[in-house]
Amino acid sequence: MTNDEHTAKALGIERSLARCTTSDFETVIEACMLAGTHWFNIVLHRTGVAPVERDAMHAEFLSGADRRKAQVLLPTALAALDAIEAIRTPFVRGDLDGGERAAQRALDHLAELRRAAGETSGTPAA
Amino acid sequence: MKIPSHLAKFRRLDATLARLDPIEDQELWIWTAMNAGVNLLNAALHRCGATADTDSFHTQVEGVYAVPDRRDATMQDRMHAPGDVMHVGQPAIPGPLPEAILRGSEALRVIENLREIFVRGPRRARPGEVRSWRDAYDTCVRELSSQAGAPPLP
Repeated sequence: MTNDEHTAKALGIERSLARCTTSDFETVIEACMLAGTHWFNIVLHRTGVAPVERDAMHAEFLSGADRRKAQVLLPTALAALDAIEAIRTPFVRGDLDGGERAAQRALDHLAELRRAAGETSGTPAA
Repeated sequence: MKIPSHLAKFRRLDATLARLDPIEDQELWIWTAMNAGVNLLNAALHRCGATADTDSFHTQVEGVYAVPDRRDATMQDRMHAPGDVMHVGQPAIPGPLPEAILRGSEALRVIENLREIFVRGPRRARPGEVRSWRDAYDTCVRELSSQAGAPPLP
């Protein structure tokens, strides 16, 4: 998908986030993963790690070679997306205590991904 | 995960979904409807004995579960028999299953199949399309609630 299309998707998901609070922590975390993945794809395409014809779906499903390139070329973005993905299992698919705090951490990581993609208009809500 | 936790998550996700618009918020509407439905499906499967209500959480990799140690909130990956499903058919659960679970699963699959086009892809929904999304969600909730021991929603 083109970077303009990724930007439109990410901004749309972030607008939907404004309808949620951290008490909706499962949805907030998932929105951060979805929007964050679009921002991440922009960085992947811009750095040439992956062409626009090959979007990443989840950071842990990157090929070994692409992941190594990402660790070199976009370590902050990769770490932020990994961190959001790591939050999903215990708080979206699981019931560990602390979901609202986890949602706030996911929002912070989403902001890092947004900055990595060079997007500066507004800030993610929730 | 245990049935009461699945039902609590379903209720929270369903309440969030009510604040989302399937056209304006199409990505989050689809994803939240899917997650709500998966929790009901897991509760229903556990309740009929098709899967076990193991205290573990499905990871991103089919068949791999994170088992929590609740004393220190840590987790360890394990592979064990289901357990929670991640999506309809992931992993496949051998039958026979109650007809209501099969009908609810088919409705949930309709929502899951929207992900590639409308969440990960660039397509915007047209107003006429979302009626079938709402119908699928209503069917999913009605059929699976009847098997999950979930009280009717207000």
